[in-house]
Amino acid sequence: MSPELRQGLKYLIGGMMVLISIIPFYVLLYLAMNTPAGSMFKGLFLLPDFYFTNFVDAWNGSKLGRAMLNSTIITCLAVTLIVFVASAAGYSIARYRSRLNLTIFNTLLACMMIPAIIITVPLYSLMKSIDGINTYWAMILLTAANALPLSVFLYASFIRTLPKEVEESAVLDGCTYFTAFYRVTFHFLRPVTSAVVILTGLGIWNNYGQAVFFLQSQEMRTIPLAISMFFQTYGAKWNLMAAAALIGLAPAVLVFLLFQRYFIKGITAGALKG
Amino acid sequence: MRIWIHKINANLHRYMALPAILLFGLFFLYPLAQGIGISLTDSNGMTTPNFVGLQNFIDFFADDRARNDVRITILFALGSAPLLNLFGLLYALFLDRGLPGKGFVRAVVYLPAVISPLIMGYVWYFILQPERGYLAHVLKEIGLGFLDVNWLGESSSALVVLIAVNVWQYVGMTMIVYLAGLQGIPADLYEAATIDGASRWGALRYVTLPLLYPAIKINVVTNIIGSLSVFEIIVALTDGGPGYATESLSIYILRMLYGSFTGYSTAVALILFLIILIPVVLFLRITRKSEYEL
Repeated sequence: MSPELRQGLKYLIGGMMVLISIIPFYVLLYLAMNTPAGSMFKGLFLLPDFYFTNFVDAWNGSKLGRAMLNSTIITCLAVTLIVFVASAAGYSIARYRSRLNLTIFNTLLACMMIPAIIITVPLYSLMKSIDGINTYWAMILLTAANALPLSVFLYASFIRTLPKEVEESAVLDGCTYFTAFYRVTFHFLRPVTSAVVILTGLGIWNNYGQAVFFLQSQEMRTIPLAISMFFQTYGAKWNLMAAAALIGLAPAVLVFLLFQRYFIKGITAGALKG
Repeated sequence: MRIWIHKINANLHRYMALPAILLFGLFFLYPLAQGIGISLTDSNGMTTPNFVGLQNFIDFFADDRARNDVRITILFALGSAPLLNLFGLLYALFLDRGLPGKGFVRAVVYLPAVISPLIMGYVWYFILQPERGYLAHVLKEIGLGFLDVNWLGESSSALVVLIAVNVWQYVGMTMIVYLAGLQGIPADLYEAATIDGASRWGALRYVTLPLLYPAIKINVVTNIIGSLSVFEIIVALTDGGPGYATESLSIYILRMLYGSFTGYSTAVALILFLIILIPVVLFLRITRKSEYEL
């Protein structure tokens, strides 16, 4: 094969990969900007009508504003909780080998294999008995708990790669190992913290399996719930459905595009240290 | 008093994992343990539950719909997990050979994985609907209109479509992990292999794949777990239909729960847990052996 042909083939394959991944998004964009009256698809190459009223109608009809607020509150607070609880746990596990810490770590690791759906039923009765249904705090605690195994694992394996001198010099200066963690070590954890924030934040933002049970009232709905509700009511109006879906997926896409570097680093760091 | 406080402070770092295990214990371990108890009762959320022993498990295996759902769940995983790994690996091998704009391709391929599978399922609904959908439109435009079948409405094809959509959404995830694995392989190993007379296929077989074991391991395990507990994509596209042709165990669990068969659905959840645990443990066993052989 000549080098030119080779190069051309490379571009062809790369282009195909991009097309396969991007076409559904383009179809969505096209539908979302279609006038309600226009027939669905025209021609092979889709040119949208640029009818932006859909977005306004979808936003109002689906109460996406409220849903976005709910999703933001739950995701941000849960992720904050995860970072504090998991980094502390990871530090203790990585630096202090005791039977207690080893048991905790192995328990968490084993539970990484258990999808959350397994415990839905007993969790429901627990949530009922603590009055946690339709509340932010219970949903935050619940989603944070679900994300702990992965987060503790990421923190512990990252802290193991840091030299002990990091906190030992602080201890010589009069810190305890506990205070040294917050004064010194924590600041070295930025790479793994960004990975944890992104990975767990995204999972909680997209959570549907738990939200559908524990956030049933309309005011508490998160984005996936609001979108699925909207789809069930507006089934025939594709332009509005597409606009709602587009608004619903936009925040995750934006965050991904802005923090792409951390995403890829975080996922690979998390994956390959195992 | 001060000495006491100092003593507590000096030992505090030993117990910093306690908040994590308390939170996890309350919202995960405790319900998990309780679930085992509930699965042995005829609990229905209203009357006082009676202990029924293993009756729920016996009922499960005697029920045609339940056995069908086990089959569907396993078929979905058998299609989805290998394809995700195959395409993820092929994509990664291709991108690893250097391509201008590699970062762009990688980002675009990964993009669907950051979006809620529920919303992504709805997006595919616009494409796959018969007559109105984009696929139907394209087929008509290029004169292949007769191929416009109700893919999601036929029990023979619905599961295949679900597998395809799932692979489409998450291929970027496996690709990224494989890419990272590939970048960790030093280039001089390839040189050495070439000098030793290895063909390209030989280098892949004897250098790349063995060194990719950590990446393969993490991908296979996550894909087994993910595909056996598949849920959202089915909710969005077929809702288990037509009939029960795409009803996975996780959907079945939730339906039984809505039907107030609390004890029974907890038992099914535990069965699903075993269905996930067995292949994962088996796989980890097998790969542990081969890693020692290296």
